[in-house]
Amino acid sequence: MSVSPRFKTDLLGSIPSLRAFAVSLTQNSDKADDLVQETLVKAWDKHESFQPGTNLKAWLFTILRNEFYSQMRKRGREVQDSEGIMTSRLAVHPAQHGQLDLKDFRGALEQLPEDQREAIILIGASGFSYEEAAEICGCAVGTIKSRVSRARTKLQDILKISGEDEYGPDAISSQVMGSSAA
Amino acid sequence: MKTMGKDTIAGAPPRRAGSANPLGSNSEIGRKLKQYYDELVSDDVPDRFAQLLSQLENSEPAQKKD
Repeated sequence: MSVSPRFKTDLLGSIPSLRAFAVSLTQNSDKADDLVQETLVKAWDKHESFQPGTNLKAWLFTILRNEFYSQMRKRGREVQDSEGIMTSRLAVHPAQHGQLDLKDFRGALEQLPEDQREAIILIGASGFSYEEAAEICGCAVGTIKSRVSRARTKLQDILKISGEDEYGPDAISSQVMGSSAA
Repeated sequence: MKTMGKDTIAGAPPRRAGSANPLGSNSEIGRKLKQYYDELVSDDVPDRFAQLLSQLENSEPAQKKD
């Protein structure tokens, strides 16, 4: 069966999300776009395995993610180690005045292991449910939950945000307090 | 007699803010995560992708065209 115009339109519409997810995974915009390109070609080739009415975005994210990890395996992890991860690590410093800089946040995100980073992106930013994220990553819901939780703790740690649940939007006081109660 | 229980309605304790969704808008991490991602999503899409899809469309085998 040939690809329906609707499928093509939907593919086009999901490109911005695919690119955002790809950048989150690769931390490199050129590699991200190559990954998106591969994903689109794969999706096109196997369009018959997509069931209309189900979540196209989740289906595409699954393809993209599988492609990312198979490329990583092929290249023996140079995918991200060769890029400026060490320099960005040095660039991260504590947030000032409770205003967390987006650049600092990006640097902190880079330091997370891939599995934690993708989990917190899928749940906290891409808008997937824990069940959908588990399906995309091919793991249990509980695994996603613990990855998200570890990612969040680690980000707080790197960015020196302490006990933000307690302070809510009033993050300034928590910064002023510095090393207050764990 | 049955009006007695009326004032118990207000008895439920309020939920603690921030405890429901650790990545919600009350969380600095949650807000930054969305800001980071929204910026990526709103990035302009290069033409190469629309071109790629057109190429794929045109290179489809004409087998099922009747």
